[in-house]
Amino acid sequence: MAQGEQTGIIGKGIIIRGNLTGGGDLIIEGRVEGQIALKNHLTIEGTGKVQADIRAEELTINGEASGNIDASGRVAINASAKVAGDIKAPRVVIEDGAVFNGSIEMDVKLPDDI
Amino acid sequence: MANTVIGSSIVIDGEISGDEDLVIQGTVKGKISLKESLFVEGSGVVEADIETQNVEIAGRVTGNIAASDKVELKTDCRVVGDIKAPRILIADGASFKGNVDMDIPKER
Amino acid sequence: MATAKELAPGAVNNTVVGQSILISGKLTGDEDLTVRGRVEGELTLSRTLIVEPTGVVKANVAVKNAIVSGVVVGNINATESVELTREGRMVGDIHAPRVIIVDGASFRGRVDMGEVEPGRMPSDRSALPRPTGATVRPAVRPGAAPARPALPGARPTPPAAPAAQARPAAAPARPAPPPAPAATRPAPPAPPAARTAEPTRPEPPRPPVAAPVPPTVAEAARKKVVVKKKGR
Repeated sequence: MAQGEQTGIIGKGIIIRGNLTGGGDLIIEGRVEGQIALKNHLTIEGTGKVQADIRAEELTINGEASGNIDASGRVAINASAKVAGDIKAPRVVIEDGAVFNGSIEMDVKLPDDI
Repeated sequence: MANTVIGSSIVIDGEISGDEDLVIQGTVKGKISLKESLFVEGSGVVEADIETQNVEIAGRVTGNIAASDKVELKTDCRVVGDIKAPRILIADGASFKGNVDMDIPKER
Repeated sequence: MATAKELAPGAVNNTVVGQSILISGKLTGDEDLTVRGRVEGELTLSRTLIVEPTGVVKANVAVKNAIVSGVVVGNINATESVELTREGRMVGDIHAPRVIIVDGASFRGRVDMGEVEPGRMPSDRSALPRPTGATVRPAVRPGAAPARPALPGARPTPPAAPAAQARPAAAPARPAPPPAPAATRPAPPAPPAARTAEPTRPEPPRPPVAAPVPPTVAEAARKKVVVKKKGR
């Protein structure tokens, strides 16, 4: 299993254009443009700017992200984040102060009589 | 507190139904059907047919009222419409225009 | 219970829709509204809507603030904020400058916080185009008429365009029509040609357009026509 792999960091000065795939956790402090597919946790730090469709288990955004997000776990859009795109995940959290434009698709259990 | 209050600035255009007491301080147009008591307070304006157990009216009501228990028109209320209820109280100072039907049960 | 009734007239901002109550229709007001029962239809408040865990709102909602701990099916348009608490469940679109979704809440729909579009995200870059865009807009109106005859000129002019952008101060100084159309869309010369081709097509029958104009334009025009046919 990919679990327990080391955490990768894309530092502030780094710009990546293209596809990014991997099994471990990843922290982005720089820029990524393209596509990201991770098996574990992705963190976009305050300095990070991502223009990519993202697939990950969990996602924490403190910086900027535009693109569609597909997560199997939790997506946290923190107060400093600016996010645009469509999100599909079972759990999505938007903190006060965060900016988000796009759609969110979670599983909503409504009462039967609606 | 299962108490429903429609505040004085609220305007409802539609239907209200329920199994609990309802206090109207605002405006309701349409239809009200309750299984408990309705209170139309001094500021309340109701333009609706009312079906309930009890009604106490201190405000304005335009519409027909059918209560399974009691209708009480309080001082300063203005009611236009027909009232049907086994018990009807009209206080001094209340103004009312309409028919009263107490539907006296056959006691003979 | 009796005390609640007594207090109610004094506490103006205290509308409660109790658990067993169903309101269907249009509800408007200038006070806070707490929903423990059910409201269907249309809900407009100049203040705060609170949907408690037992509450169900199946309505299009326009409010200042909304706090959803129950169920909302419908769109919420809030001038200030919308918060979905951990028990909140909502299906619909949210339009509000502040949107908070707490862990545990479930939501399906769009979120539009307005103001910040993805275009602003590379903040340094977007700062420039915006002012120039503003200066361009007034120029478009006078330039709109010459834009069609200027069609062949669209290609040679682009070099002038970056100059206009580089000195935004110069752009408003010269609202003269000739540079204006070029400035409106400097980067892609093809799309404006397409737009100008649109009106030219219906005016005269097909080939005469090509006759007075350089053949390249005619080719372009034909291509565009073909594209449109495909589109339809």
